[in-house]
Amino acid sequence: MKKKAKGKRPVYLQNPEEDQLLAIALALAGEVSVLRERLDTMEKIAQTKGLFTTAEIEAYQPSQQVEQEREQWRADYIARVLRVLQEDEG
Amino acid sequence: MNPQFRHPILPETTHDELARQNFVTSLKKHVFSLSAKNQGVYETRAKPRFEREHQRTPETRYEIQQAMKDEPYYRWVSALRRMGQELMWDSVLSSVERQLPELRERAKGVNQPLGSLTLNPDLLIPTYQQAVDIHCMPGSYHSDLSADDVAAGALYDRGVYLYVRGMLGPLNDDMGRSAVQNFLKREYPDFHPGHILDMGCTVGHSTLPYVEGYPEAVVHGIDIGASLLRYAHARAEALGKRVHFSQQNAEKTNFADESFDLVVSHILLHEIPVPALRNVLRESYRLLKPGGMMVHIEAPLYCHMDSYRAFAFDWETVNNNEPFWGAFRDLDLKAEAIKAGFEPDQVLETFAPNGAWLQAQGNGTPKSQEFGGRGTWFMLVAWK
Repeated sequence: MKKKAKGKRPVYLQNPEEDQLLAIALALAGEVSVLRERLDTMEKIAQTKGLFTTAEIEAYQPSQQVEQEREQWRADYIARVLRVLQEDEG
Repeated sequence: MNPQFRHPILPETTHDELARQNFVTSLKKHVFSLSAKNQGVYETRAKPRFEREHQRTPETRYEIQQAMKDEPYYRWVSALRRMGQELMWDSVLSSVERQLPELRERAKGVNQPLGSLTLNPDLLIPTYQQAVDIHCMPGSYHSDLSADDVAAGALYDRGVYLYVRGMLGPLNDDMGRSAVQNFLKREYPDFHPGHILDMGCTVGHSTLPYVEGYPEAVVHGIDIGASLLRYAHARAEALGKRVHFSQQNAEKTNFADESFDLVVSHILLHEIPVPALRNVLRESYRLLKPGGMMVHIEAPLYCHMDSYRAFAFDWETVNNNEPFWGAFRDLDLKAEAIKAGFEPDQVLETFAPNGAWLQAQGNGTPKSQEFGGRGTWFMLVAWK
């Protein structure tokens, strides 16, 4: 699917680069919100079930596979935050 | 925001996708409240400055635009609105794209259809629809990725819901529902259209209320987008509504003269340039039986607003890829309907209360500032 709407994007701040910075900041704010919501869901469920403690989270050591999954996730995440710089015109 | 009705063809959301869409909705709500403060900036800063420079008050929306364009607050709010719109489509698009193969399969799974779907691969997409992607939806109404594509439909269905923050109801159907319940049934209880056409029906949001309101009627929906129509067909079938969808341009359809008792459209007219609008009105006239009625539903025109509100409303034209928005809202639609063939005393510009979906739930009427602030839909009505 095409990622960017065809048509000229107006310039709102001092220059297009400032607008892009704002888009990046907003995307970051969005991802923080997404993360917060997921954490909140987990904590709510964990609390209901009595599943884990904060100390266990601090002591957790990820396996190699988990590390790889996280690396992939971070790549997707960065692409999402930096969307405005890499979207193509087509 | 109330949840959207989860019909079987609606794209689903993962936890993070929904959280992303929730964020965008909250952001849009906040930015909308910031937008309202632009008027204070105008009254206290921009207008006095204009008056000092010109020895008079700004008169038109263009002059207000001129006075406001360099105000930092206005520019920041505009930037946030535009970025919010882009983020919104992005939050839906990434979700739709993830499940596209599955959505295609689900759309194909219509057995023993009530209605029908007729596509025309040779239909020429008007160049005016290809100039920009309307309201910044990537691919616009006409994108069609494959012979069984439903992407534009899925993107539109979910995107519109987020765009209006659920204010059109769980099925995005308030325009059609309010036109039927708060206008046609209320004002013309003896009008029983046997054949109904919805022009520019997209995914059928507003089409289905006519099926519900007039169960005996044969209801047709036309649009230029094949992907939209595949989705519309699957959605209507999933919701148990009989609609005949076909891929046609409302400027010139293949229906015979006098095929319909009721021809309607919902926010179609502002998405097309004036010459195309004239064709649509002429086509509406041609398709109506004698005694038939045309109802085109829209947000208000600029003649219904003071200059400041017109300026605020006109933000969409340049900033949200709505190239025909401003020109449409400057038109004398009654005169246009008369030019299209309707008798002057048979044309009516009116307003009907919106929020029929909320009335049905006994929850009063929604606040609808974003649609013009009157709690109404504007309607161009004419009888043949």
